[in-house]
Amino acid sequence: MGEFKGAADTGDLSVSLSNDELHILINLVEQLLELLGERNFAHHYQSDDPFAQLMAASLGDLESPISQPEDPVLRRLLPNAYSDIESADEFRKYTEPALRKLKQDHLFYLREQLVFPVDHELQRADIPVTDPTQWLIAINDLRLALSIRLNIDQSSFEKYELMPDTEPQKPLFAVYFWLGGIQESLISHI
Amino acid sequence: MSSQTQVEEVLDLSKFFDHLWVTIVWDDPVNLMNYVAYVFIKLFGFSKEKAHELMMQVHNEGKAVVASGTREEMERAVQRLHEHGLWATLQREDHGRV
Repeated sequence: MGEFKGAADTGDLSVSLSNDELHILINLVEQLLELLGERNFAHHYQSDDPFAQLMAASLGDLESPISQPEDPVLRRLLPNAYSDIESADEFRKYTEPALRKLKQDHLFYLREQLVFPVDHELQRADIPVTDPTQWLIAINDLRLALSIRLNIDQSSFEKYELMPDTEPQKPLFAVYFWLGGIQESLISHI
Repeated sequence: MSSQTQVEEVLDLSKFFDHLWVTIVWDDPVNLMNYVAYVFIKLFGFSKEKAHELMMQVHNEGKAVVASGTREEMERAVQRLHEHGLWATLQREDHGRV
């Protein structure tokens, strides 16, 4: 269930994931990428393409502050940097596109690593962990996203353990705690 | 008030203005304790002990000041913390209180 082998120092760190686990992870990564892509003007800011720059210039709201995203998951992943809204929005205008881009890059990296075994008979894949930090950040963002959808608090694990199997959200809770185990295991190998 | 005292006050003020902003990390029920300590070591170069101490302060007291410096430095620190999924804000230093 997501066991890591080797060590980051020696460059032979890898994780064993079953095909089912790969399916789940890929699904989560792609959903979060879709959510983060919803309002991303980073490519307009950074592009050398004159047309893209023209498009960026025509986006009127680049002149005014960007306010907090509406989706609660995005609010958690892209939080306010200041407690007063005016400063927070002003800061967000200059930094949110870059922050979204960083988070997307970490998730894209993880997505590329999640490859099913070439041999179709195999039920598990041994995946080399080439960049443990990107793994950690991407897995952490998935956990943060799930935690918002599941209203995770300090007592969630106890509630989960007592949850009947008929509870529709139980499998998602299981995925959330499984990701925590993966993250814990990965940290212990760095 | 002697002129000597006035000079000292001016010096103190200049020092105060150099370190006017702080970065605060807030507790949340999701980020793992080991992960928070790992991020502190990675971003701020703390020793394991110092990182653990600050992480415990966040956990027990709900928040901790993890860095202080100029506003620009603290904005960069907050952005890096957000990249790593920690909940952080910056604010003017309030005589050691948050």
